[in-house]
Amino acid sequence: MSNAPTNSLDSVLPAKLSGAAFAWPGGRGVSDIDLTVRHGEVVTLLGPNGAGKSTILKVLSGEIAPQDGDVSIFGAPHGPDARRRIGLVLQEPSTDDLMTVQETLQLHGRLFGLRRAELNRRSTELLDSLGIADRAHDRCEALSGGLRRRLDIARALLHHPDLLLLDEPTLALDPDSSDAIWETLRQRVTEGIAVVVCSNDTAEAEAHANRVVMVSEGRIVAEDTPRNLTSELRSDALELDWPDADDDDVAALTRWPGVGAVLRSDGGLHMTVDSSAEVVPRLFESYGAQIIGLRIHGSSLRDAWFQIVGRPLAEDVEKRQ
Amino acid sequence: MIAAATASWALLARDLKAIARSRSQLYSSILFPLMLLALLGTGVSSGLSPTSERILDGDYTSFLAPGMIAMTALFSSTFSSAGFYRDRESGLLRAMLASPHSAQTILFGKALGSILIGSLQALTVLVLAVVIPGIDLAWQFGWLGGVATVVVTILALNFMLSGLSLLLAVRIKTMQGFHLIMNLVLFPLFFLSGAFFPLDQVPTWLEVIGYANPLTYAVDLLHYASYADSPEGLIGPLIDGLVLGGLAVALFVVGLRRAPRAV
Repeated sequence: MSNAPTNSLDSVLPAKLSGAAFAWPGGRGVSDIDLTVRHGEVVTLLGPNGAGKSTILKVLSGEIAPQDGDVSIFGAPHGPDARRRIGLVLQEPSTDDLMTVQETLQLHGRLFGLRRAELNRRSTELLDSLGIADRAHDRCEALSGGLRRRLDIARALLHHPDLLLLDEPTLALDPDSSDAIWETLRQRVTEGIAVVVCSNDTAEAEAHANRVVMVSEGRIVAEDTPRNLTSELRSDALELDWPDADDDDVAALTRWPGVGAVLRSDGGLHMTVDSSAEVVPRLFESYGAQIIGLRIHGSSLRDAWFQIVGRPLAEDVEKRQ
Repeated sequence: MIAAATASWALLARDLKAIARSRSQLYSSILFPLMLLALLGTGVSSGLSPTSERILDGDYTSFLAPGMIAMTALFSSTFSSAGFYRDRESGLLRAMLASPHSAQTILFGKALGSILIGSLQALTVLVLAVVIPGIDLAWQFGWLGGVATVVVTILALNFMLSGLSLLLAVRIKTMQGFHLIMNLVLFPLFFLSGAFFPLDQVPTWLEVIGYANPLTYAVDLLHYASYADSPEGLIGPLIDGLVLGGLAVALFVVGLRRAPRAV
């Protein structure tokens, strides 16, 4: 995705956090969170599990109130009016096994005050768009994880929200379900709704986000478009399994021509380079006996994360491996 | 206000559908008290031949029936509260709380389901218990008055249990923990409620515990309305009503007020 469409709903920002902080019992939480969400854009909160993404989402959804700082939803403090304009998708599918797909939407629609005719029309439209219309009368216990997730999305969109908050909506989904969800979301975004997504999937963030907000240890460490975040990177990234690499090796490699950032990680090094074809042979000439593994890929948001945060995005790495 | 009523009604309808689909829960809440009534009642009546003047004609089954009606409400309320945990664990409760309604409206709707289901099941046991010879709903207030007293008692008992469940559910995060507490607290309370033996004929220490027990007043009122043939040995409807009604209102209101938005 490139730039966000122009504002088409109203001039009030869907969401704004100013210096927001929240600490859970036990210490984890977020602090100094400044975040602005505009109409017609997808903002991805990117970070590993436990970084604080879901806490930010809970503050945005009104589930918890910040202990410090301010939250403003459509220009006002959180309350029933704000919740009426928010659609929420939780991290895990949140459906009742004993209810049918249709009943799940009916209940939600009635909680949001939709009239019967509108509710029926909207349910049909969303189930069609997400490819689960043929399962409308099935109980949720009969649905796969992917179908349940689509139902979650349908429920969140049912009452025409202007701000959609999604906590890892495509985690562990098959490509079909993931595509169906993003296609529906893209369509809503072109209509002007704002979307905030929590994710630890850099490829997904790069593909769908207008803006990526990197969250690490409860703080925002970077925020920009995926293109800007990756624009400073060299073209290739190397991940070296090199357990004995030390600071001297890092310093030496940094001085090589065509080499960008060199960072140590658990058991290895992460480098960005202009050309892997030129650097890799030289690497093996100089350090071949110490390097026990090598992965080469085009530089991406995951490398930007590595360079900004100083360590790999663990879940993202595990997923790719 | 209308929106809140619509939301509560939608939640109530959903819980009623869920219980209708969960038949094992529906049947077990009714069958267990009836089974206890038949087995324990017949066993004690025939095997021990009780001679207490509070057990009319030595028929322990009849004496047990009002207590079993209270027990049905207790069982049903516990099962229904498990639905709260199921919704919390599935994330559905969080999704409901993300609606424009207050947490109190959402939990009120859910509590209504628990109260209605518990009351209907207890009344089913009452209807079946009417065939027992010693059960006489007309002796004190006439048929209508007797039935009304039992219905109101059952409703108040279910409101009280629902309020207690709400209070516990806010603090106890797992269903296992909730059931453990319910078993540890409610079963002893039930055994000491006068459902199984008259409290005016036990040692003083047991009698004191019994009268400190809120369930005692529900069981006493049910005995008064449906079983006894004289007020002798009973607490009486005025005190029963005040204690039961007061606790029902207090626990239910406090339970709702403590409801958090984040679960």
